[in-house]
Amino acid sequence: MTGKNKNHLEFGAEGERIAANALVQKGWKILGRNMRSGRGELDIIAMDGDELVFVEVRTRSIGRMLPPEQTVGPRKIRRLLRAARTYIDRVSYEGNWRIDVMAITEAGGERRIEHFADVTMGMEGGFMG
Amino acid sequence: MNGICGITLRGTQALPVEVEVEITGGLFSITVVGLPDTAVKEARERVRAALRGIGVSLRGRIAINLAPADLPKEGALLDLPMAMGLARAAGRADWGERALFMGELALDGRLRWVRGAVPAAVLARETGVPLYFPKENEREVALVSGVKAYAVESLLDLLRHLSGDAPLSPVQGARFEEAEVTAEADLSDIKGQFAAKRALEIAAAGHHNLLLTGSPGSGKTLLARALKGIMPPISDEEMMEVLLVRSTAGLPPEAGRTRPFRTAHHTASAVAICGGGSALRPGEISLASRGVLFLDEFPEFSRDVLESLRQPLEDGTITVSRASGSVTYPARVLLVTACNPCPCGYAGDPVEKCACSQHSLERYRRKLSGPILDRIDLHVAVPRLKPEELVSLEGSCGESSAEVRKRVCSARERQLARWSGHGVHSNAELPERMLRKNLDMEPDVRAFLTEAVRALRLSGRGFSRVLRVARTIADLEDSDSVAVHHLAESLSYREGEAFAAAGWRS
Repeated sequence: MTGKNKNHLEFGAEGERIAANALVQKGWKILGRNMRSGRGELDIIAMDGDELVFVEVRTRSIGRMLPPEQTVGPRKIRRLLRAARTYIDRVSYEGNWRIDVMAITEAGGERRIEHFADVTMGMEGGFMG
Repeated sequence: MNGICGITLRGTQALPVEVEVEITGGLFSITVVGLPDTAVKEARERVRAALRGIGVSLRGRIAINLAPADLPKEGALLDLPMAMGLARAAGRADWGERALFMGELALDGRLRWVRGAVPAAVLARETGVPLYFPKENEREVALVSGVKAYAVESLLDLLRHLSGDAPLSPVQGARFEEAEVTAEADLSDIKGQFAAKRALEIAAAGHHNLLLTGSPGSGKTLLARALKGIMPPISDEEMMEVLLVRSTAGLPPEAGRTRPFRTAHHTASAVAICGGGSALRPGEISLASRGVLFLDEFPEFSRDVLESLRQPLEDGTITVSRASGSVTYPARVLLVTACNPCPCGYAGDPVEKCACSQHSLERYRRKLSGPILDRIDLHVAVPRLKPEELVSLEGSCGESSAEVRKRVCSARERQLARWSGHGVHSNAELPERMLRKNLDMEPDVRAFLTEAVRALRLSGRGFSRVLRVARTIADLEDSDSVAVHHLAESLSYREGEAFAAAGWRS
């Protein structure tokens, strides 16, 4: 059990590394990784130009029930928003910010990276309160 | 004044709504405040998508305020001013002067047809502010003269116009097109019924209300439909009122210059007839204003409907009050009603025997309350035709609609010439005060009238209605003064006389 669990954590950390590299190549500035913020955790905090972005990274191997991006549900988004707001208060940030999701899929040694920007757009009704 | 205005409707009037936009840093969100209804709240998504389509991507926390804050805002027509406010805040558009914007946005930035374009154009004309509206509304806006308005096809077109890259030219004013008078029936096609035809002529000439009573199949409905063909022409001012109501109700303008003719089924609700609903709309009585409202099988209408007609028939306007506010719509109708003399339809019929019990007969007649009947000037019996009349095969039965209409038109012209300085269009709308002062009666008339009022037990309102109808009959004769025979004819159309003829007073 321990062995398998460790493998799973490593697999996730590997995914976050891949995601961060991809973002750096896009010209983003990474401000922090795996930061605890209040009770939540923020995988990657980065600047996309003048906008602060909190990136949630999801890594999965292919063949699982759900594609990785669909594992971010309303509860997870609420938790991310809370963590992001705590961070913003701590550093007294006043500009625009958003939440992105990156999905890393592993299939037979090949990796696919997908990037979903601003996942809370259009959710005013349900999640912003 | 920041120069971005939209409108919201109250009655047939457009009220300006100022749109203020504030963008601050933060997670993307759009909040709309200022009593928006659901359609306005949902505008966020349409506006965001439409702006994205032209390369304006919104960021940060966006607050949109619709002022005045206590006025409820309704409808998708506020999409465009909100989008313009955001485009300007994002630095994509600018214009110096104040401007009125209206239109519903499609996700790709096209502008969709909205209701209320005519009231908006009137507001733009009054305030001297340019109006930008959807191209699909162009036909109705063009009919409002003296307004500086631009028909816009899409958000991008509007931005290019304002930046001067591709200026649009203002809408060319149009006139109401003359239209042929058409009716489903010509008076010369209707056999017999000369009394009823005469009553139709008087009703059309003076805009008086009419009740046709007769057994089934005697031709009441046909007569009512023939009325359309003898109505006098409609003036520009009246046409404008019709256009305003239609635009408010979300109907396209009529094809040409014609008086409205509307029919309502007896299952209609009071809201359908009088207007109202949670999002206040005009009803049939307002859509028929300046024209004819035909209510067939009058006693079958619900009591609510019948009684709610009282106030509009007297005032020519209808005020609908709701928790969200009260609005006034025009309701200057020529009410034509038709009914059977009893539930089975044959009371007083020379051939068929009436099968109604006394009880059902009384209930049927009680349905039409005194106050309603008192507001109907012309009560006419439409009796069953004699067998010889019915099978007569001659082509023509009396005057054609065109001939009658000529007399109606000249009688209406006399009225207009006499009253036009007072904002009155027909004898029926003449205020009491002016009626007495301007009647111009011959000396022997007073004694006759006193006797008539006593004998017929006329009410005050009944009396002035008799005078108005007599004035119209005199106008049809090209006579300046009202003589005894005018009054005598007018009195013969009073309530009771027709019922007596149809057997109501046995």
